[in-house]
Amino acid sequence: MPRRQLVFLIGIVLAALAATVMTAVWENEPLLGLDLQGGVSVRLTATEPATEEMLDQAVGIIRNRVDALGVAEPEVSRTADGVMVSLPGVDDQQRALDLVGTTAELRFRPVCDVFPVMTANQPGQGTAAPAPASCSQVLGGGVLPPTGRAGVTPPEHDHADQFVILGGRGGTQRYLLGPSVLTGDALSDANADLIDFQWQVAITLKSGADGIDAFNRIAALCFVGTRECPIMAGFSNGRVAIVLDGQVLTAPQIRASQFERDRILISGSFDKEEAHDVALGLRYGALPVELVAENTQVVSATIGEDSLDAGVVAGIIGLFLVALFIVGYYRLLGLVALASLAISGSLLWAIIAHLGTQSGLALTLAGVTGIIVAIGVSVDSNVVYFEHLKEDIRDGRTARSSVDRAFPVAFSTIVKADMASLIGAGLLWWLTVGAVRGFALYLGLATILDLVATYFFMGPMVRLLAQTRWFARHPGRFGLPAAGAVGAVVS
Amino acid sequence: MSAFRRLYNGETTLDYPRWWRRAVTISLVAMLVSVASFGVRGLNLGIDFEGGTSYEVRAPGASVADARAVMAAFDAADARIQTLGDDLFRIRSEVADPARAGEIRDALAADLGTVETFEQVGPTWGSEVTDKAARALLVFFVVVALYITVRLEWKMAVGALAAVAHDIVVSVGFYSVLQLEITPATVIAFLTIMGYSLYDTIVVYDKVRDVTGRLGATERYSYTELMNLALNRVTMRSINTSITSALPVVSLLLIGSVIMGAGALQEFGVALLLGIVVGSYSSLFLASSLVTLLKEREERWQAIAGKLRTRGHTEGPTRLIGREEAAQPDTRSPDRIDGSRGVARRRPVQTTHLGGAVPPRPRKKRR
Repeated sequence: MPRRQLVFLIGIVLAALAATVMTAVWENEPLLGLDLQGGVSVRLTATEPATEEMLDQAVGIIRNRVDALGVAEPEVSRTADGVMVSLPGVDDQQRALDLVGTTAELRFRPVCDVFPVMTANQPGQGTAAPAPASCSQVLGGGVLPPTGRAGVTPPEHDHADQFVILGGRGGTQRYLLGPSVLTGDALSDANADLIDFQWQVAITLKSGADGIDAFNRIAALCFVGTRECPIMAGFSNGRVAIVLDGQVLTAPQIRASQFERDRILISGSFDKEEAHDVALGLRYGALPVELVAENTQVVSATIGEDSLDAGVVAGIIGLFLVALFIVGYYRLLGLVALASLAISGSLLWAIIAHLGTQSGLALTLAGVTGIIVAIGVSVDSNVVYFEHLKEDIRDGRTARSSVDRAFPVAFSTIVKADMASLIGAGLLWWLTVGAVRGFALYLGLATILDLVATYFFMGPMVRLLAQTRWFARHPGRFGLPAAGAVGAVVS
Repeated sequence: MSAFRRLYNGETTLDYPRWWRRAVTISLVAMLVSVASFGVRGLNLGIDFEGGTSYEVRAPGASVADARAVMAAFDAADARIQTLGDDLFRIRSEVADPARAGEIRDALAADLGTVETFEQVGPTWGSEVTDKAARALLVFFVVVALYITVRLEWKMAVGALAAVAHDIVVSVGFYSVLQLEITPATVIAFLTIMGYSLYDTIVVYDKVRDVTGRLGATERYSYTELMNLALNRVTMRSINTSITSALPVVSLLLIGSVIMGAGALQEFGVALLLGIVVGSYSSLFLASSLVTLLKEREERWQAIAGKLRTRGHTEGPTRLIGREEAAQPDTRSPDRIDGSRGVARRRPVQTTHLGGAVPPRPRKKRR
């Protein structure tokens, strides 16, 4: 047996073991979808009469907002006067509200100063800032931003062309902010990325006067620090706050005077969740209609517990039957097939659990369907090979030579067939949204793992068995016919 | 030898071509019925696609089963029932007719508890999702056709796509005829059927290519005969794979519906089971017959058929190719027939063999 085969065999077994152990150590668990587990449901109501069209548009935006990756499979539907959103796996109602958001507009405002949080009321009057607006006007007392409770500008006075005082995420600081210089319209995309082991938010602005040019104008001011965008103590550059819904999402320092349209990175001490939330807020700023959250509720699974239990029991029995059948038919080779299934299964589980925990990939009934079928296809890879073996042996070859000869032929068949599945999975993933996308991901994953398990485990394992004297002597124990057995000639 | 024994040993000598005509007829009828039913009765789309009515009922002490019982009286036992918090139920049903929805509300108020909200809801699976999926499918068909053309040949691409289309039409038709509810899970099951059918067909075609490649050069068999040999050689694989794929689904259906009485799972279990059976059937009977039809018109295979006819092999039952013949292809180099194309021209193609492999024994005796 070539040494390479042995390395493959040991390598894949170790990889599967490592994946299982890591999944347990990291406490990764698949995130079950709404249909299987339930979650939190938020009912949003429009503040003004809205047409069905506007609500449908809002449904689309909210779906994108809560499911940027397209695999969390939330349920978003239009109701009579608003939108109902259900999120899987979220048990914290506040987080659900934060995710869904009810925002009006995203604004970029230069930061004049930062204050600690205040509890006392400090009434102030608001006046539109005379152009050119500069922070010194406010800091010098020339303009008073309107403030209400807790020393921040209340929503009704939060106008784009005025100075405002707004709170930030987490509520530890208040920001004194200049008039808006850019709105969410300027943005074309925003994503959370893990760069240099730090979560950062990469944004892409539109080109033209209302996009990157406007941003660069304020960037040039903030970089050097001017009256419009001063440098605060402890900072090396001025800052621009990104405000959503009367709340400062983030207020990064401007570290360059000119930016490329698609090379703007916000690096902060984001953790993963924060980075994602900021990116989401940036991406889906405005809804066509203002929505307010009416209530949030924890909802149970849409498929009843009874169905779920039945499904799990049925799945276990089904797998057991498959095992029985395969071993009954292929004997020891059947055991190899089962081991191969276990290898691809444990790898698949590790990946699903990892993505479920890290990226909100939900495992719904559709996903489970994909996996059930994948089991059939994985077993098929083994069947194709074993039948090839039997065929070759009956055609007069020895068992051992058949093992070497049949594998490449069978594997080429498997690759051809699996490639078709992969093409399908790739296209569906790329071109669709919602449940179809989740299905495509599971199908693609399972197919790749099937190829891996076949090539690295099943093939080498059968070759290893073929080395034994036992294999040649008792082909029946491997579900193989005696070597050279030639059937009756029919003509 | 018993039938099972023969099957186990791969000695099946089914005469597939004899069944093709019947199979194609049956399939055409089934497709016709499906399309007609789709046109006349349409599909029973669930609340996810069409929207419907949603009720929130406060009913301390009631169970999901109680709520389902109330809905069942209105022929809406498939309503989606969730609990919100402790004693609040959200019941969604695809009933859209306001009068009937009102009746249901009254019944819920009478038999279950206080109806707190009652409203029309829109679909969660919007037309946007469907449009995108449909477009993706079109692209998929084109790309897969190209892929099969490159890896196998275009005639097989035609056969494979026809088989897949047949499977989808028949499955959707089945749902239309019986008016089973279409849920997102069902749509996924349809997609799964498609993938499964395509996969199965490619496995069969690869075998066909292998056999025609090895034995085609002898020019002693017609394409139909070679196809029949290839199909017999993949029969066992097809049966085994169908069984292993179907077992989990069957157990889901049996245990899920009969023993434990759960509704949601069986709807798409039916779709999957149907797809597995139809997918295997279409690969063995439809995809193969279509390719044979196309290939037999090729000059090369026409010539061989003509030669066979002059030798006295007239139309009639397909000659079955014996194991010994099949295993040891003729290695003489016969006269080339002009216009011969395809993988095998003169000599049998030696399939890849790794170091240590033993080449086929030379033929000892000729009959």
